[in-house]
Amino acid sequence: MRKRVGIAAVAAAFAVTAAACGGTADTATEAPAEETPAEAPAEEAPAEAPADDIEIGFVTHVVGNPFIQQIIDAALQAGEDLGVTVTVAGPTGGEADAQLAAVENLVAAGVDGIATSVPSSSMDNALNAIIDSGIPVATFNLLSPAVNAPYVGEKSVESGRILGARIVELLGGEQQAKGTVVVGICFPGFPVLENRAKGVQEALAKAPGIKVEGPFDVKVDAAENYSKWEGLYQANPDVAALVGLCAPDVESLGQLKAKNPKAKFIAGGYDLTPGNVAAIANDTAQVSLGQTPFMQGYLPVYMLVQAIRDGVKLEPGFVDAGTEIATSNPLQVIQPYGLPQLTFDELAVIAGDPKKSREFYQPLVDGIIKNWQAEVQPIANESS
Amino acid sequence: MSTSKAASRRIRMPDELGVFIALLVLIGIIGALQPKFLNINTFLNVMANNSILGMLALGTVFLLAMREIDLSFGMILNLSGVLAGLSMIAGVPVELGILIALVAGLTMGTLNGYLSVQFRLPLIIITLGTASIYQGTSLIVNNKGSVLPPPEVKAHWFFQFMGGLTDFPVPPIVIVFLVLAVVLHFVLHRSRFGYRILAIGSNPDSARLAGINVDGSRIQVAALMGVIAGFGGAMFLGFRGAIDPTTGYQLLLPVIAAAIIGGTPLSGGSGTIIGAVLGTLVVGVIATGVVFLGIDATWSTFVTGVVIVVAVGIDQLVRVQRRNRAAVASAGGQ
Repeated sequence: MRKRVGIAAVAAAFAVTAAACGGTADTATEAPAEETPAEAPAEEAPAEAPADDIEIGFVTHVVGNPFIQQIIDAALQAGEDLGVTVTVAGPTGGEADAQLAAVENLVAAGVDGIATSVPSSSMDNALNAIIDSGIPVATFNLLSPAVNAPYVGEKSVESGRILGARIVELLGGEQQAKGTVVVGICFPGFPVLENRAKGVQEALAKAPGIKVEGPFDVKVDAAENYSKWEGLYQANPDVAALVGLCAPDVESLGQLKAKNPKAKFIAGGYDLTPGNVAAIANDTAQVSLGQTPFMQGYLPVYMLVQAIRDGVKLEPGFVDAGTEIATSNPLQVIQPYGLPQLTFDELAVIAGDPKKSREFYQPLVDGIIKNWQAEVQPIANESS
Repeated sequence: MSTSKAASRRIRMPDELGVFIALLVLIGIIGALQPKFLNINTFLNVMANNSILGMLALGTVFLLAMREIDLSFGMILNLSGVLAGLSMIAGVPVELGILIALVAGLTMGTLNGYLSVQFRLPLIIITLGTASIYQGTSLIVNNKGSVLPPPEVKAHWFFQFMGGLTDFPVPPIVIVFLVLAVVLHFVLHRSRFGYRILAIGSNPDSARLAGINVDGSRIQVAALMGVIAGFGGAMFLGFRGAIDPTTGYQLLLPVIAAAIIGGTPLSGGSGTIIGAVLGTLVVGVIATGVVFLGIDATWSTFVTGVVIVVAVGIDQLVRVQRRNRAAVASAGGQ
């Protein structure tokens, strides 16, 4: 009898918890299809929202990361604009096999299309099998060239070159720059991060007075990331610059600089998360590159809806999401694709508010997103 | 003694019945809320996606039965798979590459056990260090990138079959997992090796006094875990067609959870392979269920945790009640 009660309790716990959490799903189902045209004119919602029942599975390599959340927010905005359901899934730990299981579970649950990042080659076969079965797939943020699907993301090596060149410039230019530059990578082996490292090292190598140390493993967890950077600084107190390749780095480096006000190092890295933006704004870090998360979330959903509704064939190819450059001196955020420059206050608002972000990126929705097929480049350009 | 009581003593319910019924109830609830879940392909998909996890859970049963925990099996899986893949890329025949994975796993597992015995430390402490050594070695040898055998290597039957690229009706990785479970079930419950492990886990001092080589058995169990992880690495390579720098990193908690949910206690002295298979399915069904039910990514981890804690807690309560009742019955009979 007690055993039966126990089993019932397990079942009840699952049912109650599932019911409690299901209602708050990261889906755009709350946006009724008929409201979309009223809220947004046809040109603002390029693929209009007919009364169909499309569900897109949107799978990220990690959840709970501020930068990835910006991508997810944009995907949900796209779902709302286009009148489709976007169901978000992904592992908390960043393991590719768990992510692939989430993709396969969504397919088994009957979604009409899949948007996913591809952190590793072990996902290739299964994703291509899904594509072969007739389910459209679009990829974003992390690329595996063997997947037969379009990819929306940054030009990873090139963005590394941009960051490296900014660091050289901040150190006095190619001829004047000197000292040690320490590079940190939060996940050794991630292809996109390795590409960034390659680009940074290429750019730094142009300054003969610079000696590059690393890349060192600085971990992705925020607390661990800070302690790794602190250790690297203590080991290299005269370091000229500390350069990170992942989202937590700039914020960590800003905290490190704030804790050591006499330190003279330049700090640079990636992503325009609220913490990173704050570090740039108070000049504890000097440069951070964004990869336009709005594009990386919105466009894959847009592509899939076009494929499902209009029969557009999704071929392998690369759409550059664009690189945003935030600098502390001058205090500015240079935007890609002719978007207006932002003040830091505006950027902070956009980074934390999906609706404001949607409004700011309207020109992208009307331009490159609407005409994405004209923007597709060969996959090889991603790492050129 | 009444006839019904005598009958109930004769028909002893298997220990795994509780987790089996819990699994059916979970499937029933998810199926009722989302009928698409009740599909044989979904079930096979759950099994295939969790077969590697399940293989490691089978090995973990042996460790838990001897009051040991290995933190390095995910890294052993990774490094074994990487070495197998790199050797295949270098031109070594695929069959030999698989053997390399097994030998690599055996070596790493034996090293874990040997160091544990030599330093007189629990395996969990030793593997805190060796896990990083194996992870670091993997990153060094794979040059921080994915190991991706070229198409000519992947044309081999092993990759075609394990990758599900043939018309075989069931994912082959599932068959491999179940066969391994049957073999290990008999090893644990029908071999002297298995009896020794259970005896050591039940009471190491008594086992030593009874003439059992406790240190040797600890090394053997660690080596067995290593071989299973090495085998898992080779199977992962065949199943997915590549192995990544991150493969295996996040398996630790789900694997131990699967073994414990299945009914193998942390206190040692007993273990159930059938339970580990069912525990693996519970973990897999929960993970799949949260997707089918549309529970968003942020909440899914919470839900998974709640269900696991409740499942393990209730199972433990039931066991305590059964023990108490048995103690009362035993006292009453004296």
